[in-house]
Amino acid sequence: QTKTIKGTVSDAKGLPLPGVSLVVVGTSNGASTDFDGNYSLQNVNVGAQITVSYIGMLTQTITVGSENTVNITLEESVESLETIVVVGYGAQSRATVTGAVSTVKSEDIAALPVTNAESALQGRAPGLTVVNTGVPGSNPLVLIRGLGTFGNNTPLFVIDGVIVGNLSGISPNDIENVSVLKDASTTAIYGARGSNGVVLVTTKSGKIGKGQLSFNSYAGFQTNTERYDTMNTIQYLQHAANLGVFPNRPLSTYRINTNYQDEIFRTGIMQNYDVNYSAGTEKSTQFFSGGYMKQDGIIINTGFERYSFRANSSFNIGKLKVGESMSIAFGKQNPELQGGGRTLITHAIKAAPYLPVYNPNNEGGFQGPSSSADGQDAENPVRIQTHATSVNKTLGIIGNIYAELELMKGLNFKSQVGLDYFTFDSNTFTPSFNDDSVEGSTTHAQNFASYNRNHSQGQTIIFTNSLTYNTTIAEIHNIEILALAEKNDRKSNNFGGGARNLITNELVQFGPTNQSIGSSSNETKRLGYLGRLNYNYDNKYILSASIRRDASSRFGANNRWGTFPSASLGWNVSKEKFLESTNISNLKVRASYGITGNDNIGDYLYNATLTGGFEYPIGEGNGPGVTANGGSNPDLKWEETTMLNIGLDLGINNQQFTASLEYYRNQSDDLLLSLPAPLSNGINAGNITANVGSVETNGFELALGFNDNEGDFTWSANLNLGTSTNNVLSLGTLESFEGAAMKDGKGNISRTVVGESLFHFYGLVSDGIYQNQAEVDAVFTANPGQTTVQPGDVRYLDLNNDGDITSEDRTILADPYPDFTYGLNLSANYKNFDLNCYITGIQGIDIYNTNKYDLEAGANRLFNGSPILLDSWTPSNPSTTQPRVPGAPQNHNVSDRYVEDGSFTRLKNISIGYTFTDGIFDNYFSKLRLYASGQNLITITDYTGLDPEIGQGNQEFGIDRGNYPQPKSVILGLQVSF
Amino acid sequence: DKDLELSNPNQLSPETFFSNEAQVQSAVNAAYANLQTVALYGRLIWYMMDNMSHEQSGNGQQEADKVTFADFSFDSSNGQIAEYWDSCYRGINKANFVIGNKDIIDAIPESAMSATKKAKFIAEAKFLRAQYYWLLVNRFGNIPLRNGDFSQPEGKPISPKADIIALIIEDLTEASANLLAKSEEELGRANKGAAQAFLGKVLLYEKQYGPALDSFEKMSGYDLESDYFNNFKEETEHGIESVWEIQYNLSLGTGSKWGGPVVGAGQNHATFRGQDYGVLNWFNVYPSDDLVAEFEPGDNRFQGSFYVVGDTYNKGRNTFVESDFAENGGNIRPVAWKKYQNYYKQVDEVQESGINAKVIRYADVLLMMAECENEVGSQATAVGLINRVRTRAELAGLPATLSKTEVFNAIVHERKVELNGEQVRFDDMIRWGIVAQELSGTNFQAGKHELWPIPDREIATNPNVTDADQNPGY
Repeated sequence: QTKTIKGTVSDAKGLPLPGVSLVVVGTSNGASTDFDGNYSLQNVNVGAQITVSYIGMLTQTITVGSENTVNITLEESVESLETIVVVGYGAQSRATVTGAVSTVKSEDIAALPVTNAESALQGRAPGLTVVNTGVPGSNPLVLIRGLGTFGNNTPLFVIDGVIVGNLSGISPNDIENVSVLKDASTTAIYGARGSNGVVLVTTKSGKIGKGQLSFNSYAGFQTNTERYDTMNTIQYLQHAANLGVFPNRPLSTYRINTNYQDEIFRTGIMQNYDVNYSAGTEKSTQFFSGGYMKQDGIIINTGFERYSFRANSSFNIGKLKVGESMSIAFGKQNPELQGGGRTLITHAIKAAPYLPVYNPNNEGGFQGPSSSADGQDAENPVRIQTHATSVNKTLGIIGNIYAELELMKGLNFKSQVGLDYFTFDSNTFTPSFNDDSVEGSTTHAQNFASYNRNHSQGQTIIFTNSLTYNTTIAEIHNIEILALAEKNDRKSNNFGGGARNLITNELVQFGPTNQSIGSSSNETKRLGYLGRLNYNYDNKYILSASIRRDASSRFGANNRWGTFPSASLGWNVSKEKFLESTNISNLKVRASYGITGNDNIGDYLYNATLTGGFEYPIGEGNGPGVTANGGSNPDLKWEETTMLNIGLDLGINNQQFTASLEYYRNQSDDLLLSLPAPLSNGINAGNITANVGSVETNGFELALGFNDNEGDFTWSANLNLGTSTNNVLSLGTLESFEGAAMKDGKGNISRTVVGESLFHFYGLVSDGIYQNQAEVDAVFTANPGQTTVQPGDVRYLDLNNDGDITSEDRTILADPYPDFTYGLNLSANYKNFDLNCYITGIQGIDIYNTNKYDLEAGANRLFNGSPILLDSWTPSNPSTTQPRVPGAPQNHNVSDRYVEDGSFTRLKNISIGYTFTDGIFDNYFSKLRLYASGQNLITITDYTGLDPEIGQGNQEFGIDRGNYPQPKSVILGLQVSF
Repeated sequence: DKDLELSNPNQLSPETFFSNEAQVQSAVNAAYANLQTVALYGRLIWYMMDNMSHEQSGNGQQEADKVTFADFSFDSSNGQIAEYWDSCYRGINKANFVIGNKDIIDAIPESAMSATKKAKFIAEAKFLRAQYYWLLVNRFGNIPLRNGDFSQPEGKPISPKADIIALIIEDLTEASANLLAKSEEELGRANKGAAQAFLGKVLLYEKQYGPALDSFEKMSGYDLESDYFNNFKEETEHGIESVWEIQYNLSLGTGSKWGGPVVGAGQNHATFRGQDYGVLNWFNVYPSDDLVAEFEPGDNRFQGSFYVVGDTYNKGRNTFVESDFAENGGNIRPVAWKKYQNYYKQVDEVQESGINAKVIRYADVLLMMAECENEVGSQATAVGLINRVRTRAELAGLPATLSKTEVFNAIVHERKVELNGEQVRFDDMIRWGIVAQELSGTNFQAGKHELWPIPDREIATNPNVTDADQNPGY
């Protein structure tokens, strides 16, 4: 006998769940809950089994009994197997994923008070490296699975199907989830752009149910307490005397003692407000948000401010679904400025401490050094940063509009237009100044106001058409086919100018003299076709294969098209009978293999061009010259990366314990390298870019999760850990190439050579200090009687045993790659309290610390530095660590003296919150949470610099040049739902 | 696919270039730019040639890389030799960009550019190519030959020196025919007289004295400056004696003077010679005792070349004192360089000098003609030519009765004095076969140091040049 049963489905907290699917097992009879969580299921037999499933909840099976009303409570699943994973051009259930995909949830991204969403991803996914830059509003370095090319290693960022340059244009609070795609089976569908991995961002959309208004806000402060130890005035004057330099200032000046680090660092206020509204019915969903955030940097006059707006919506009209997502963000950054190519921190270390910061008698109001009076030229960092006004303004519009039509059951056609539009406007105005009014002093002065402005604008339009077909044959063969065509046009242009005004500082406009202007424009066009097949047999045996054909205008006709295939297999062992009665809830093995590309090189490189800028005096004037640039290579093609990934997923006790292990091996071939042309060709470019290099990258990734509860106390721990090593297999005809330059013309810090890791540090190996002439002579046997190196200088190892210390004695000092990186997230809830503790770290990384060079090397020019310089070697103070001052030039060569262990463990975030769920607020709020959190409060490291988290990409990897350190911050926050 | 064919909107495209006179002219202008570079007349040529010829000695603080030329310790890894090579070949490539596109240039309608102009600009490119090859062939001997081809990745093998010389003679012959006379041409550009003198010089080096003399004798409109020192001042550039000079002009900008020793782009219209050599400035080098001793008493070229204590400078406002001439260690030098220094008009050398480099001047031509006459003509004619130079120096004339050997010896002396510090003596000594004897007591090794080594960077980057091609002794 059949009957109708009714009821409500709700979550553990009693909130009704709309859209829950109920299916009578073995039939096609089913229903779903309405808006208020109510369902009605007809024609049900007593004794029949009904599965109740909902995204993010553990699926329940109930047996129909005598009752006609059955209310069901679904348990939330911590790591549900049914979790939907967003992948390129679609979504899959976690159970059928065969590639290497890590996901990060919105709560994790919103938990940190960061200006860029990338920063919030740090330590959240194994294999994902994020290195923050410290300057609010600047983009951090993001790498997936380490370095794989000499060129651009930045992953592809995709927001709602729109390929963008980075995530700075969206508010972190608008992010629903992030998928990090790491292997060929997930990235090869991005074809020529997938080699560096893909970060897929899905923004929030309206949830079916009653409209909900949420307001989130936090405010707090950030600061930096770390300082380099520098000499005070008395110590500095002693050091100057040791160098034989005697500053020539009025005696009263030497009573001043300025610590420039204290002058440039400050405590910055940060605040964030974000409001959003989400609503939805089966017919339509809406999501609106608006946000404002402002962060003052911990260096004076730095900061970032952003206004952001978003509207995402979708509508079902019969078999047609249309929707859009659109965001606008205005950003305003006050960047850190530089003077003479040195960072503010470098100037702060080097400046003479007896000089006051301000001097009202000088034009501009600041005091700085004169070479004649002070014997040095480190600029006043406060003047650099505050006298000029520098503002970078950005506007970003990112969005898409799509329509999806069900042509027949299972067959859908989708058309989407995506837009990424940006403007960037940078203004720097520097009024005239003279840091030292001593007569004849011109060390740091500008007798004019200068104004520089740069404006760029660009847009990418992506037009994607796709057909998908989903079907299940005989209930066990699940098939999904995707065919897609995509066109991507990017245009950008730039104009900029600068001028001087000798008359006034009042006009922030281009002045009348020394005007210069310039402009440029660029265009890239791409075309791609993708086919993908996903097949699984009863969710047990899984096969996925894809092929993409891509063309890019960055390459010549000879190599314009590339083909990027991938295939992957998975076996859900836990679905097998022999594991059914065990406590293994999930066991899956999977493997993928494929080829991806990288077209991340400049535009037009294959094109032969002419180049100008040559000058020769003809008559009384200038004869401008133009010649062939040379160096173009019509055979340029993609860099190709062949990726192998093997993965294992394990879940025990209904996913109470989960583990995921990946092994990967990527080989990048045809890497673009700039090779020196034969010198006698005499081409202007000097180099020819060609596809010649190969790099292998491999590593392991591990993710472990555990959750448990004890009555009202629930807790979970998640650990992820990743390794990545790279090895250069080929550099074509090159044996090696040198990388980042050391300051003061002291050669190069990094080098790349076949058989070793990319961009490793390369220099001399020190072995203490020469204590007497006999020790010197014992090394310089080929060069007896040399007088440059003397007792008190650094002894380097004569590695090639030629009786001399030359650049031939350089060796590999260290590499800037970690043994492993990790993130550990601990969270606990007790009744209404929640506690979260999030730790990230890097182990086994080496840093080349150029600050240490500034502080301790004892360069022969006078600058401030570490008090350790006063303990330098002298005949009566035979130091074994500090060379004599002044010393031989070789003391300052690139060497192991400045290489340090940069391993660190950092308490990235700790937060404690309380949620008011009932009581006095009932009439006003449905939820109110108050929390306090602290960022970067504890860092455990042996590194002597301000912050071990440093470095830019590629050749600058692991080189500390006085970088803006990560602040410590404390915030108080409020989250309210109405 | 058509859609994906994009051309760079920021750069000129080679397909459409050479469509008017301005474009041809700009391509020719570019070929001059390498002469100005730090690797050539901007800085290094002075040090390299004046040090190797031992016309000067080095002060203690002279940079080690410059010292390598005085003590002949350079090897194939020497960066400055590589830069010299590099800058010359870049100049050749720029000239080849013009010469190799002759067909396209000739296709420009006569209304847009006259045939005379076309021939003249191509002749300028050929003159410049000859100049760069001349700099190369004298220093390296056998070298890769590139004739009209540009921008191709494949490196060329070494060609015999004779082939290079043949190309130089061919280029200069065409240049002599098609270049404009000095009076018709813009200052700074190669002109007919420069090509005739240059061609004569090359032929003289080849010991083709008759043809050399023919070429010299075609020159017209040249004479000696009344004041020797006028040849080395900024205000009297392109005077009657000037045949071929490399231009520097501070008013056009000097912002790129350090910018790349070989590229030649940007405002690099300054030489460093003033500061490098200047007695009140870096004073890295000073005239050698041997050179100073060569001067006859009363030779007014002494005052035109050197400063001594008591001389005035800065338009007579200042006077040199003994301490100005102290080298490192306190020793007082008897003389310091005056030639090419700016002290005559200012109190200080300011790193930048705008004085042009005189590559060929008419006194040199007269002495070269004398050399030819001595070989194929009459000694009396030769002596007459020498005496024109000596008369300007306020010296008594030589008797017309000298023997061939005596005339030769007189030319050797006269060139050493007249052209001191002008980068001709080292090559003179080699071609006369007296270099080993003249440089005895230095580290000069005959059979080796006449040539420089082919730079390692050429061997490393050019698969068609190997260590087997290296010059003897390196």
